[in-house]
Amino acid sequence: MKRGDDYSATIQLYLDRELSDQDLEEFRAHLEECEACRTELEAEEKLSALLRRSRPLYSAPGALRARVMQAAKSFSSTTVHGPVRFRKRFATVLARPLLAARHWGALAATILLIATSLLFVPGFLRQASANSYIETAVAAHRSFLNGSLPLEVQSDSPSVVTEWFAGKVPFALRLPRSAEEAEHQQVYRLTGGRLVNYKGGYAALVAYQMQQQKISLLVSSSRSAVAAGGEEVPSGGLIFHYRKQANFNVITWSNHGLTYALVSSLAGAGRQSCLVCHQSMSDGGRFSAHQ
Amino acid sequence: MSWNDDGAGQADASGVEYLDGLYSYALVLTRNHAEAEDLVQETYVRAIPAMGRLRVGGNTKGWLFTILRNVWLNQLGKWRNGPQMIEMDVGDGVADSIVEPSEDSHDLYVSKPEAEQVRAAIQKLPEEFREIILLREYEDLSYQEIASVLDCPVGTVMSRLGRARAKLRGLLSTTLKGSDRPERGGKT
Repeated sequence: MKRGDDYSATIQLYLDRELSDQDLEEFRAHLEECEACRTELEAEEKLSALLRRSRPLYSAPGALRARVMQAAKSFSSTTVHGPVRFRKRFATVLARPLLAARHWGALAATILLIATSLLFVPGFLRQASANSYIETAVAAHRSFLNGSLPLEVQSDSPSVVTEWFAGKVPFALRLPRSAEEAEHQQVYRLTGGRLVNYKGGYAALVAYQMQQQKISLLVSSSRSAVAAGGEEVPSGGLIFHYRKQANFNVITWSNHGLTYALVSSLAGAGRQSCLVCHQSMSDGGRFSAHQ
Repeated sequence: MSWNDDGAGQADASGVEYLDGLYSYALVLTRNHAEAEDLVQETYVRAIPAMGRLRVGGNTKGWLFTILRNVWLNQLGKWRNGPQMIEMDVGDGVADSIVEPSEDSHDLYVSKPEAEQVRAAIQKLPEEFREIILLREYEDLSYQEIASVLDCPVGTVMSRLGRARAKLRGLLSTTLKGSDRPERGGKT
C-alpha cells in the first residue's frame, strides 16, 4: 500500500477518470479511510468545477464563425475542381478584411486597388457593409442559441443592462425603461446582454425572450454598421429592412447614430414579423398601416 | 458532403462545432485576437479538404487541435527567422489583467466576474501550462489524446497537468474561497 503522500498522482488520475478498474476500486477503498486524501481530492474537484463553470474559455467571434461556415459551404461546390483550386477559393473566402499586421505590406496594394474601384460603386459598399453586419448578427444569435455565447450580464432590468454596457462599447446605449416608458404592455422581456466582436471593436448583443423564443438585438455604431437591402418597411420615420437569412428573420434599422439588427425565429415575414411584437402595442398601427 | 444554410446537422462533417475550442486554444497559444483568428482559419483551410479522408470514428477533435498546434509551431519558426511583433491584446475585458503584471491581484479578483478571473489566471500561466489546462479542463481530451496533440509521452502529460493545476490553484486561491457560496443559477 502506498503512503498518504504517494496518492497525489492517483488523485489526479481519479479526477481525470484515467484509473483502471482495479486501481479505481482500490483507491475508493483507500478514500474511505484516508481523510487527507479526501481533503486533497475535494480541493482538486473544487478547482476543476470552477474551471468547468467558466466554459467556454473564449467564444469565437461571430464574424469568424460566419467566415468558417461560409468557407465550409464553398467546399461542397469546389471539390470537383481538385484540392489546389479548392484551397485557393477557400482561403479567399476565409480571408479577413484586415489580417494580422504582418500581412500589411502585401495587402496594402490590393486594398488600395479594391478601394479605388469601389469608390465608384457606393451602393455596393453599403450593401456589403450591411451584409457583413447581418452575418455577424446571425452568427452571434446562433452561438447564443447553442450556448457557446453565454450572456455576460443576466437581468430583466433595462437599467442594469444599460449600466453594464456603459464604457464597454464605443457608443452610448440606453435601453428603454420597460412598459411605462414604452406606453404599452411589452410582450417580450429582456434577459441580458454581452459583448460581441465586430470589425475590431465591440458591438452590444441584447437578449430578449418572447414566449419560448430567444431574440437577439445586435447594436453597433452606424459608423461601422449600416442597414440596407431586403424588404423595406417604413415606420415612424425610420426604414426597417427585413430579410430572411439562414432560416432566421432579420430586421435591421438605423436610428440616432446606432444600427440595430434584430434576429429571431419568430413567425411572419416583412412587416408581419414586426407585428408579432408590436400588434398589441400603441405603435402597432404603424406597421399595419404602411404599405 | 453537403451544407445547409444554417449548418445544422453538418457539424460532424466540418468540425465547425469545435470552433470555440479551437479559438480558445489559439488564444491560449498566441494571446492575440488577430493571430488567433488567423490560426483558426488556417487550421480549417488545412483540415476541411482532408475531412473526407478521415476514417469513420476517427478522432476529429484531437486531429483538429493537432493541426492547429502544428500550424502555430510552423509560424513560430518563421517568425523567429524574421522580425518579431509582440502583441498581447487578449481580451473580453481581461487584457489589462494580462499585460499588467503589477496589478494588485486582490483588486483583480474581487472586482471581476468569476469567469474573467479564471481567464486572467490562465493567461498568467506559462504556455505549456495554459495549453494543457485548456485541453484537459475545457476540451475534455484524455491523457492519450493530449499526448498525441502535444507529441509527448503520457507521463509528461500527467506531471505537467499536476504542476499546471497547482500553479493555477495558487493564482485562483481567492476565487476558490469565494466559490464556497451557492452557485449562481443558469450558468452554463
